[in-house]
Amino acid sequence: MSETLNTPRVEAARIAVNAGLVLFFGLYAVIVLIQPNYLEPGLFMNFLRRAAPLVILASGQIYVILTGGFDLSVGAVVTFTVTAAALLINGDPGATWSVIALLYLMGAAIGLFNGLVVAYLKVPSIIATLGTMLWLNGLALAWSGGAARGDLPENFRDLGRFQWRDVPLIGTLPMAALVLVVVCALLWWGLHGMGYGKRALAVGDNPRAAELAGIPVARTRITAFVISSLAAVTAGILLGGFSGVSVNAGSGLELQSIAACVIGGAMLLGGRGTIWCAIWGALSLFALFTLLNLMGLPQALRDSIQGLILILAVGLTAWRTRRRS
Amino acid sequence: MKMGKIRPQFSVAAVLLLISLVIFVVTAVATGEMAQFSLQGITGLLQRMVALGLVAVGQTFVILVASIDLSVAAVISGTAVLASWMMGGDPAMIVPAVLLCLGFALAVGLVNGALVAFGGINPLIATLGTGLILQGVLSAGYGLLGGSVAPAFQHLAYGSLFGIPWSVLALFGLGLAMAFVLNRTVLGARIFAVGGNPEGARLAGIRTGWVILTAHVICSLFAGLAGLYLAARVQAGTPWLGRDGIYDLESIAVTVIGGTLLAGGKGGIAGTLAGVFLFASLDASFNMLGIDAFLKQVLRGFIIIVAVAVHAIRGRGHVA
Amino acid sequence: MNPALEMREISKEFPGVRALDAVSFDCLPGEVHAICGENGAGKSTLMKVLGGSYRPDAGEIRIGGSVMRLTHPREAAQAGIAIIHQELSLLPHRSVTENIFMGHELVRKGFAGMLLDRAAMRGRAVALLQRVGARISPDDIVAELSIAEQQLVEIAKALLLDARILVLDEPTAALDDRDARHLLDLIRALRGQGVALVYISHRMPEVAAIADRVTVLKDGRLVWTRPQAEATIPAIVSAMVGRDLKDFYPAAPASAPGETVLQLQDVRAAGLPGISLSLRRGEILGVAGLEDSGKGQLARLLAGDLRPEGGTARLAGEPMPLGNPRRVIAAGLGYLPADRKREGLTLRQSVRDNAALALRAMRPAWARPGAGVFAKEALDAGLSRMDVRAAHYGQDIGALSGGNQQKAIIARWLALDPAVLLFVEPTRGIDIAAKAAIYQTMRDTADQGRGIIVVSSDLPELIGISDRILVMHRGTIQGELPRGASEQEIMRLSLGVAA
Repeated sequence: MSETLNTPRVEAARIAVNAGLVLFFGLYAVIVLIQPNYLEPGLFMNFLRRAAPLVILASGQIYVILTGGFDLSVGAVVTFTVTAAALLINGDPGATWSVIALLYLMGAAIGLFNGLVVAYLKVPSIIATLGTMLWLNGLALAWSGGAARGDLPENFRDLGRFQWRDVPLIGTLPMAALVLVVVCALLWWGLHGMGYGKRALAVGDNPRAAELAGIPVARTRITAFVISSLAAVTAGILLGGFSGVSVNAGSGLELQSIAACVIGGAMLLGGRGTIWCAIWGALSLFALFTLLNLMGLPQALRDSIQGLILILAVGLTAWRTRRRS
Repeated sequence: MKMGKIRPQFSVAAVLLLISLVIFVVTAVATGEMAQFSLQGITGLLQRMVALGLVAVGQTFVILVASIDLSVAAVISGTAVLASWMMGGDPAMIVPAVLLCLGFALAVGLVNGALVAFGGINPLIATLGTGLILQGVLSAGYGLLGGSVAPAFQHLAYGSLFGIPWSVLALFGLGLAMAFVLNRTVLGARIFAVGGNPEGARLAGIRTGWVILTAHVICSLFAGLAGLYLAARVQAGTPWLGRDGIYDLESIAVTVIGGTLLAGGKGGIAGTLAGVFLFASLDASFNMLGIDAFLKQVLRGFIIIVAVAVHAIRGRGHVA
Repeated sequence: MNPALEMREISKEFPGVRALDAVSFDCLPGEVHAICGENGAGKSTLMKVLGGSYRPDAGEIRIGGSVMRLTHPREAAQAGIAIIHQELSLLPHRSVTENIFMGHELVRKGFAGMLLDRAAMRGRAVALLQRVGARISPDDIVAELSIAEQQLVEIAKALLLDARILVLDEPTAALDDRDARHLLDLIRALRGQGVALVYISHRMPEVAAIADRVTVLKDGRLVWTRPQAEATIPAIVSAMVGRDLKDFYPAAPASAPGETVLQLQDVRAAGLPGISLSLRRGEILGVAGLEDSGKGQLARLLAGDLRPEGGTARLAGEPMPLGNPRRVIAAGLGYLPADRKREGLTLRQSVRDNAALALRAMRPAWARPGAGVFAKEALDAGLSRMDVRAAHYGQDIGALSGGNQQKAIIARWLALDPAVLLFVEPTRGIDIAAKAAIYQTMRDTADQGRGIIVVSSDLPELIGISDRILVMHRGTIQGELPRGASEQEIMRLSLGVAA
């Protein structure tokens, strides 16, 4: 028996990661075919900068997906972050950092709320976070009076917009790309650099067995929702930076972030997936949007292509698993 | 019907109904809006239920087979846009337009059902996908699909019989019919079987795929009816009609509030309609109290959570 | 007499495995034909071929003399074959009537056959329930019935279809002795009515008691088919495992048990009006009782899955915090549940991750996943010590046999070095050879100075493994029996007769 033991670890996850990665490089190759200067570091960095919010959102969302749930409130958290930042800072650069700290506190509170509702009130996450999406959007609208109000100072917007120029090797380095790398590294570490990720997978796979083996199921779930919300606040700060204030800054992002994880190979309802599913899935999705723009397709058709890719990606996985068994 | 048999579902519906009525009556009395108790006031209250009620009746069918439909919002928008475009104000086109719309809804239901039942695709993803595809095509093609419904068609939304709006009669008529389908027909029995224990149903010789497909077709058709009703109300459908009404997520919410399990196999139409009634009476009460639209949305969000928590919290099992 | 069922030279191959190799099998009307074999011997594949879930690569099936091609469970049902699986296929939220008629509803005349004839269904349901001896109402919701009653509903389902061939796959696995006896009586009655019964079980005494003929399968091949008189238990066992199993149960320990490791003093909880017991190091304590005796509640209480309402508990010299699995584990108790799929395993994770589950739960969430006790080598060593057989330990645990899964769960707990291990139905659905290995492991871990509690409905198992047996009745401990007690003594106490 011992001779068969040294084979590689979890094969399924490896295949899943490869799917998202391959899709991304495939799509980016097509982009380069149409617009060769996307090979230049500058344009690639710009691509990363614009993809950053979605990648960060998906990397937070994957925590919740692994534990078997959904977070439909992340889009509303983005909207709320942008609105609250504009109203609280109101153009005063001195207030930026304290307001950002406050935003993260609010994000943590929202995640905590979602987590508590799911873990202790036993409301399915799809309903709980839908409720949060509604009340949070309503709150943002009520607070701003339904229109973009307030102002974001330069030092806040620089978080999303600023680029270092004349950086060796890559030319320009956008602050957002740096934030992206740092946040993803942190979220990678949270999931795979410590035991939390394995706990999350166990909870998503079989919460009852996890509980009886001593895993603190409620705490694991709540942590996932908090992290997802904090990631959404980060995405909101970046989006506020390069798009400015808007009352629908985050609309649609909740479904995009879930779609990204699924395209990357994570299993809905839990039990399978890695941070790479989120990262490659989100980059693939964003590459797809970029490609559609370059091809001059109407903005509206973005939705359609996204839907098609989603069905194809999941359909292909379903077909492959069925053929294997 | 034996009481014992419908007890669990009946009690959720009854409790919701009672709570809704208390909220409505207390608010009306407190704000002195006695006119709410006139026939007009009551029918107004019931008319608030129509659009969401139609979608939710359909949604109940898919949730009972342990599936879900996120594409209903896009189907609503699609039928509304198609109806306005095809009628173009011409009463002679009403029948063809309605047929076209229902055909469209049927087609979407077939695609959803096929993807879920035979493609093995997670229903959330499959219907999110078809919804996105439709939404994109609608938004992109809207410029070519202008028009408004025939004036006679608006009768559907504003006309009434003995003071009761057609639309309300239609909702309750269809609700009753679908409750009958669920509880008294072979199809209903199989829907509960497939949702309650798919493997057991398969071993009992039930063609589970076809049952799931049928549920999806029913759901899409009801979304199509809701789209037609909304088109009649607003005269000219837009591609954002369904999405702005959040009919996809709200129909799921009221179904779950009404006691139908997301895991399938338990629930019913009575509970769902009671859930819709709760939403309608809350809406009416907020209006009487003069609560602004944004705050209304905030309260709605919390109420969804609380309403589901009230019966979910007793469950011993885990939810995710 | 013509056989009701004849399977000739059935072969079925899966990628890399020859699951069935030209197996022939037949069953006469009014006969109980038992199939024995270890897990993986081909029993369930053979039954899936019969049930229309698998198509055989070669061979033919004759029902009542004519050749049948069964490609879907529906066709098997139409051919008069009913299979009662281990995993019950009931609808938990629906009534007994609706369950009995699932897929075969009675309809009223006209209405295109769409309208249910509910009165007729209820009437037939009453009659069927009477025939299987179930004292339940057709309107009862299935989730509220006991497992034994649910099983009877399954059999009523089969009778509804006038099944001429009834396959029972481990029907008594989840039943206690009294319910199992009732079921065996029912099987005898059906035999008298001319039904051909195929009986699959790991419980040898039952096979000996009920079967007219016995067939043994091993590694996908037919070993032999013999009439009851020639199929003694030792003959069956040696044919199943290919050798004699002399030391099926480990010998009693040579030394006396050590100090007390677990003590409950008048602990009360839902369904348990007051439990006092003590367990010593090196001791295996059996807990017997009928299904509703409270032995399941006692297991849940000890596992921290049931809130106590009073009394005191001590574990390894410290007060034991009941009511929370995590704190119970921290205090030093490991729980191996009866339902491994639902309560023990995370099926989509690897064997290694399942073995690390309790360690991961008890070490801080930020502990590095690949270092120290979590290192691959450390985890694999633990699994190897338990002799868990897998292609590799990175494989999903869902693909392993029940015995190997159980061994992996034992490895999970031993990694924490608990003072007490609590086994519930430790060998349910596990084949003979793996059973012996698990019994030996239980003895070994006890000899290392741990206390072991075994809650089981399998009386020969309890008698064979336990140093002492507590018998429960109505939520209390009715009596205590020393090693070597007889089944009769246990049954008497189980039924509430004082010792």
